[in-house]
Amino acid sequence: MPIEITMPRLSDTMEAGTVIKWNVKEGDSVKSGSVVAEIETDKATMEMQCFDDGRMAAILVEPGRQVKVGTPIALVALEGEDAARVKASGVRSSAPAPVNAAAPVAAAAPVAAVAPAVAAAKPAIIVQTETRHGMEGFPVESDDGPRMRVSPVARRMAQEHGISIDAVAGTGPAGRIIKRDVEQAIENKLAAKSASIAPAQALAVSTGGVQTNSSPLALALPGRNVALSGMRQTIARRLVESKSTIPHYQVTMKFDMDRLIDLRGSYNEKLKSSGVKLSVNDFLVRACALAMAEHPYFNASFAGDHVRLHEVVNIGVAISLPEEKGGGLVVGVIKDADHKSLRQISADTKNLAEKARTKGLSVQDMSDATFTISNLGMFGVEHFTAIINPPNSAILACGAAVQQPVVRGGQLVVGTQMQATLSLDHRVIDGAMAAQYLASLKEFIEEPETLVV
Amino acid sequence: MTHSMAPTNTSSPTQTGGPRRLPSLPPATLVKWLRELHLIREFEVRCMQSYQEKKIGGFCHVYIGQEAIAVGCTAAVRPEDPIVTAYRDHGHALARGMTARACMAEMFGKIDGCAKGKGGSMHMFDRPNNLYGGHGIVGAQTPLGTGLAFATKYEDEVLNDGKNRRVTLCFLGDGAVNQGAFYETMNLAGLFDIPVIFIVENNGYSMGTAINRGTTMSHDLCIKGRAHGLKEATIDGMDLLAVYHDMHALAEWCREHSRPAIVDMKCYRYKGHSMSDPRKYRTREEEERHEANDPIGKFERVLLDHGVVNEGSIKEIMTSCREEVRDAVQFSNENAEPPMSDLYTDVFVEPWGRFPGSSQPTFTGGADNVCTFRATDGKEGLV
Amino acid sequence: MTAVLHNPVFREPESMSGATREIEFRDALREAMSEEMRRDKRVFLLGEEVAQYDGAYKVSKGMLAEFGARRIVDTPISESGFAGMAIGAASMGLRPIVEFMSWSFSLVAADPILNNAPKMLYMSGGQLGCPIVFRGNDGAGGQLGSTHSWAVEGLFSNVPGVKIVIPSCPADAKGLLKTAIRDDDPVFFLESERLLSIKGHVPEGEYLIPFGHAAIRRAGKDCTITAWGRPVAFALEAAEILAKEGIDCEVIDLRTIRPLDLPTVVQSVRKTSCAVVVDQSWSFASPGSELAAQIHKHCFDDLDNFVHRVHSDDVPTPYSSKLEQEYLPNVRKICEAVRSATYRA
Repeated sequence: MPIEITMPRLSDTMEAGTVIKWNVKEGDSVKSGSVVAEIETDKATMEMQCFDDGRMAAILVEPGRQVKVGTPIALVALEGEDAARVKASGVRSSAPAPVNAAAPVAAAAPVAAVAPAVAAAKPAIIVQTETRHGMEGFPVESDDGPRMRVSPVARRMAQEHGISIDAVAGTGPAGRIIKRDVEQAIENKLAAKSASIAPAQALAVSTGGVQTNSSPLALALPGRNVALSGMRQTIARRLVESKSTIPHYQVTMKFDMDRLIDLRGSYNEKLKSSGVKLSVNDFLVRACALAMAEHPYFNASFAGDHVRLHEVVNIGVAISLPEEKGGGLVVGVIKDADHKSLRQISADTKNLAEKARTKGLSVQDMSDATFTISNLGMFGVEHFTAIINPPNSAILACGAAVQQPVVRGGQLVVGTQMQATLSLDHRVIDGAMAAQYLASLKEFIEEPETLVV
Repeated sequence: MTHSMAPTNTSSPTQTGGPRRLPSLPPATLVKWLRELHLIREFEVRCMQSYQEKKIGGFCHVYIGQEAIAVGCTAAVRPEDPIVTAYRDHGHALARGMTARACMAEMFGKIDGCAKGKGGSMHMFDRPNNLYGGHGIVGAQTPLGTGLAFATKYEDEVLNDGKNRRVTLCFLGDGAVNQGAFYETMNLAGLFDIPVIFIVENNGYSMGTAINRGTTMSHDLCIKGRAHGLKEATIDGMDLLAVYHDMHALAEWCREHSRPAIVDMKCYRYKGHSMSDPRKYRTREEEERHEANDPIGKFERVLLDHGVVNEGSIKEIMTSCREEVRDAVQFSNENAEPPMSDLYTDVFVEPWGRFPGSSQPTFTGGADNVCTFRATDGKEGLV
Repeated sequence: MTAVLHNPVFREPESMSGATREIEFRDALREAMSEEMRRDKRVFLLGEEVAQYDGAYKVSKGMLAEFGARRIVDTPISESGFAGMAIGAASMGLRPIVEFMSWSFSLVAADPILNNAPKMLYMSGGQLGCPIVFRGNDGAGGQLGSTHSWAVEGLFSNVPGVKIVIPSCPADAKGLLKTAIRDDDPVFFLESERLLSIKGHVPEGEYLIPFGHAAIRRAGKDCTITAWGRPVAFALEAAEILAKEGIDCEVIDLRTIRPLDLPTVVQSVRKTSCAVVVDQSWSFASPGSELAAQIHKHCFDDLDNFVHRVHSDDVPTPYSSKLEQEYLPNVRKICEAVRSATYRA
């Protein structure tokens, strides 16, 4: 294999070189280490040595010509090779070589073309960045008037609380809106809201004022923090208020459910064609509503120096929201429940639940409950207690109807029973009153036909 | 302390290779040395070629003309004696036993280079062969070399009760003689009785500056060590047998007495300081005069005279060296470049702490505060 | 504490049961070195006046008597030479502790400590490490003038491959120095002449403090002050003054600036929305500027103001006591920075 001598790189910065002079002619013998040419680099004129023994077969670049580093400039025939043949074949295959001096340039061209574009794009970004974060003491005015200054955390908090940043007055340097400005705006917003909505229509209405963001029990253990949603903050605030200001107590009773379940089954069979499906809860809503006629203090509010007995019976139903909707709990209200049929109650409840889980309940849907029912029976819970939804005076917590051994007429039989627990505001209702209310409920539930008429 | 020791030269500058010394050495050893000389030269020639072909980057300093020093000095000491040198280091690496492949692949910046392509031409490290680098900053290796010798002495005196008695070879160029660190180092070596030999490869030029233009008393560099009580030797570095015999005697003396020494190793660099040096500061006549004194040719003549080799066996040696280096170049060409992940390794032995690889933390954000530690050297992780 | 410790070796000093004593910072350093030298014969100490003189600052007092001249090595005044020599010894597997009487004198050894120690492992492709500790006084010692008052962390923290430890109290000094000596990489251990005589509770038993673990010296909710070394005390003093003004500061002591415990700082700033960094090196291209940049990056949406920095003023260290006090980070400057950062100025 003949040896191709290429334009050597003779300095760390050399890109191209010029053959100043060839010290050998074609046909001369050359030895490793012999200086065969003088090359002008970007820095100096240097000697070019040959690295192999043989005969100079072809000189491809004449003196005075500048070529890129790496371009073939001569061919050397090694021992046993025919110089003439090497020249003939080599010049042909290397023929483009001197001409090829252009090739590296062409190859480099796209790179060169791309590079300025990249370089140009970069400063543009930098300028933008600098404008956006204009430093203190370097007034930066954009075309559309003075720039609004907002600290990053203030901007984030405003977004999280749905507060329009334009409406917030900045008290920081040069009118910068800072964290405490947004905190003030959040407080104002909550105060305005609680003022515009009559007290206590739903859990998800803020009353403000109760500290909920302290975490006195936080443990210094590995874990992660989950920010409170607006609803979660409201629940926290309102239930702390309820549980800490209302003297709660609970009364529990068991109800035989066999007949109610039978009746529900037969109605649902009959009403199947019209798409009605009554739930146990629908019966309970109607029972609670009807019982109010005899027990007005269960449809009442404690009001400091008096107890307000409401004329309308609006039964609130606690609805849990799915996780993908952010979870939480709202109370949908079935208005005038004592005047509604089971079918109507069933339809209202379904509408509220559907709406709560899709687009969300309106303030109207959550307002003005006078009594609340919370039912975890569908989750298999047998017994629990609930926190009163202020300003109600009571809440009923219903468990599941379960089959269990019961004694009837001295006989042990299988019966279906449900436990229900009233949580009561002792300022309004005493224990005996609670027992009487439960007794009325028991009548309605164990003789469910009375609920239909 | 041996400060009062009268400095003596173990040899005067020698005239020619001494045939009188030859009989004491087995022929196989002599042939091995000849092959090493040829291997280094062929390696350096192909380095120049590869540099010119842009296969090798950065700076590249070749050793052509000085081969007898690396071969002779290495032969004069034991394999376990540490060696450290400057940036003209390919010859020392090969003489110490680094393969041509590992050395060339390092030059090419490839993964199977001796330092995985992270060091380059000036930084040849070979721990198994006790080569503690190629170092790039002129003179910087002199305190390091003294430290290597300090460690060997400490091992004997504190850790092992005097078993090894190693001696360290610290090579430097005549330009490094004027660095401050070198004087501090000679003082420390003299003061602490450290068995280190400073071998000044005196090729007459620090880059383009002739020695008399940059160095006082340049006719005898041993004078530089005299104030620190170093043992002295002036050796003809173009004569392999002189290098071997004189260095062997000196090393054994330093080993025996746990004392430092300085060697003015007279030699000549046939090529430029680096690849971009046009050598305009000296004449072609001067170069030709020294080329006539080529250490390889000189050694070959001695071996031919004594019938250790013949023309044919020399040609065989040269062919085999050419083959070995050609293989190294081909291997390095085809060898893979280091993976991108290698950029971040070997920064710390113990990247423990929460940030593997370097002090620049990779922070993933979030409230997660769990941290894990890599267990190293019996250290356990904590969470 | 930022982490729950399970390992008996790595422990926070506060987590140690049993007796503690009040000892000086210099005693804590000496205990760390002596314990490690008893444990590992490869460890030795060298530097100017460390042996016969008992240490220029009495840190190595009595060590010559215990360990002998082979392991407690007096050197001549040639930092470049003995630092380089120690690096060579470390690359052979010894574990030197190099005492710089002052880090200001390390500048004449810049080549070995910056070019050899931190790069040996990388340049050798992992073949040679450099298990070495450089330690000594850093920062203004008190009217020493400009050339002797270097806070070298400003220069040296720019270099990859080094670990930089700056303790603020005796207990940390001991636990961190023991870790430094056992570390397989080069460690720059920066002490303060002004702290050497302060006393603190140090546990009796053995403990090592891991690198990269900041300590929260004071919990607070309004502003995060991050400091290291001597200024930690100033930050704590400032926090007490600010508390009376109703600004509740959290004070973080980084302990090591390389590795940098960013998670602890970021977690705190995300809570307080406000950060002040205190660094006794000059402000331009300093550890403080790096930390500020990192906080801006990781806490961008949590910040209520830009990160405020308190540094030494951008002038050579003055000799006059009055000017020097004004030049250094001090309690007043920290208070001003916190008030400004929290918009209470």
